[in-house]
Amino acid sequence: MRDFLWKIAFILVAAIIWELIRLAGGYPKLLFPGVGSIAIALWTERLDIISKTLFSLKIIGMGLIVAIVLAMLGTFISISGKFFAEIVTDLMAIMHPLPGIAILPVAILWFGIGIKAILFVIVFSAVWPLINHFYTGFRSIPVNQLEVGRNLGLAGWELAMKVMLPASFPHILSGLRTGWARAWQASVAAELVFGAAGGQGGLGWYLYKKRFMMETPGVFAGMLIIVLIGIAVEYLIFAGVEKRTVRKWKTIIS
Amino acid sequence: MFCFKKQRVYAVLLVVILFTTIFSGCSRKDMGEAQVMAEEKEKLSTIRVAKQFGLVYAPLMVAEKIDFFSKYGLKVEWLTLGSGGTVREAMAANELDVAFMGIPPYLIGWDKGLPAKIAAGYCVTPVSLVAYDENIKTIQDFKPEHKIAVPSPGSIQHILLSMALKKRVGDPNALDDNLVALPHPDGAQAMLAKKDVVAHFTTPPYLFEEMEQPGYKVVLDGFDAFGQDFNFNVSIVTQSYHDNNPQGYAAFVQGLNEAMNWVNEHKEETAELLAPEFKIEKEKLLKYLTAEGVNYTTAPYGLMGFADFMKEAGYIFRVPERLSDIAWENILAQVGKREGGSCTLEKIQWSK
Repeated sequence: MRDFLWKIAFILVAAIIWELIRLAGGYPKLLFPGVGSIAIALWTERLDIISKTLFSLKIIGMGLIVAIVLAMLGTFISISGKFFAEIVTDLMAIMHPLPGIAILPVAILWFGIGIKAILFVIVFSAVWPLINHFYTGFRSIPVNQLEVGRNLGLAGWELAMKVMLPASFPHILSGLRTGWARAWQASVAAELVFGAAGGQGGLGWYLYKKRFMMETPGVFAGMLIIVLIGIAVEYLIFAGVEKRTVRKWKTIIS
Repeated sequence: MFCFKKQRVYAVLLVVILFTTIFSGCSRKDMGEAQVMAEEKEKLSTIRVAKQFGLVYAPLMVAEKIDFFSKYGLKVEWLTLGSGGTVREAMAANELDVAFMGIPPYLIGWDKGLPAKIAAGYCVTPVSLVAYDENIKTIQDFKPEHKIAVPSPGSIQHILLSMALKKRVGDPNALDDNLVALPHPDGAQAMLAKKDVVAHFTTPPYLFEEMEQPGYKVVLDGFDAFGQDFNFNVSIVTQSYHDNNPQGYAAFVQGLNEAMNWVNEHKEETAELLAPEFKIEKEKLLKYLTAEGVNYTTAPYGLMGFADFMKEAGYIFRVPERLSDIAWENILAQVGKREGGSCTLEKIQWSK
């Protein structure tokens, strides 16, 4: 919570610096809107912003769930045999550096213009870092811990839940963090590039529309919402999960 | 401890000052007046123009190829920018002196304080909403699942559709949820693939290509929506260029006029010159250049006609009171100011 407050304080300081720069430079509102006009844009467009944000969160959530399931499958396949491990590692080496947005043209050809194409890009962007972290997590489980577990009579599912999961959870958690960030980037970028359909659009489409209407304060309002959601998810979800899991288990240093 | 805190305060202050100076370094306003003047003098003979792609830009492409400007002592720096939105942003950032855009996108910029005015009308060409679904004969026939491609929100195509919707359905935003923003080539591709998009609001050559397909028909004609002819694009020149480089401004307008006239008088040569650029056969390009409704002109048409509607529908917040709010002197002189009631040229600036 203290960290969360610190972030808010940081934003306030950033806002003050922003205003100072704007006033010192004498920039027109078109290029450098004031904090006040951004706040006004946020307030007057709140309904639109909320519905767009919910839409974004919905498709990102769907995309992330699919990506996590796929990444788990990929990880299980690769730990079940050396041959599969090599295939998955090679595939990861090829696909991981490819930005999700680069496959958007293909996604449009395959899935058309709409949610499916964006979902595809989100899943693609999130799945490779997820596999990467999950796989690294399972491989970095200390052998002696596994053996202690086996000596205590644990096997199969129990061994996985009581030894393997706690031991690899720091990696899983950082995988989820990366996957979440990549999914956000992909959804906003995809909508910024091909615009989505008016009725079904997220924050990327909101930014796109504001940009073409030259409503710079609205553009900044949309960006601010994206930042705030990022902070909220980090401090309300990931930090909480971390506290209840790896910090409690003492797998990482507090 | 006290000392340490003080150091931190200094560090923060230093960062603030550093940022402020870096950012104001980008601004030309902080430079000495004399320095700006000297820089403007050096720039006297150059002008930065954004060009885009499409049949309507043929005169501009000819102007670049044949160079109608250097005899007036003007050097044109051609910039190729992606979309209309980028062009407007580049202009706001003072990276660009001249841009070509539709009247509605210009009005959106003007409304938000973009310091630029119209220096020339730029062509009158057909712009129409095409559909291939046989159940769609008018704009009232669109169902919620039908997607309509327009180049971008706030584009001339989007505004024309809204104008027609207001006249016929009563709600300018009735089809907003059906819109998909696609650049012309992508929209045409989606139309020809008959995938996702059932209608496309577009311009030549994409309009002509789509109309050549069997079953593709015009659902809404832009001139009908507006009530009369209008400039498809207008040429916008920034306040600073207009004020600081009168010679450059005059040379550009005159060069543009010459290029426009050259295209009208030499359509075959134009087709030959530009066929490789458009990557189509010369004959086809000539057919497009001479198609009905295409008018290569710099005369102003319908400059004021979009504003009232756009304000009413909420796209802009203020309306230009008189033509001089949005157009430079050469346009104002062309239109004139008849005593005792408007003349023809004054009348055609408003929509019917």
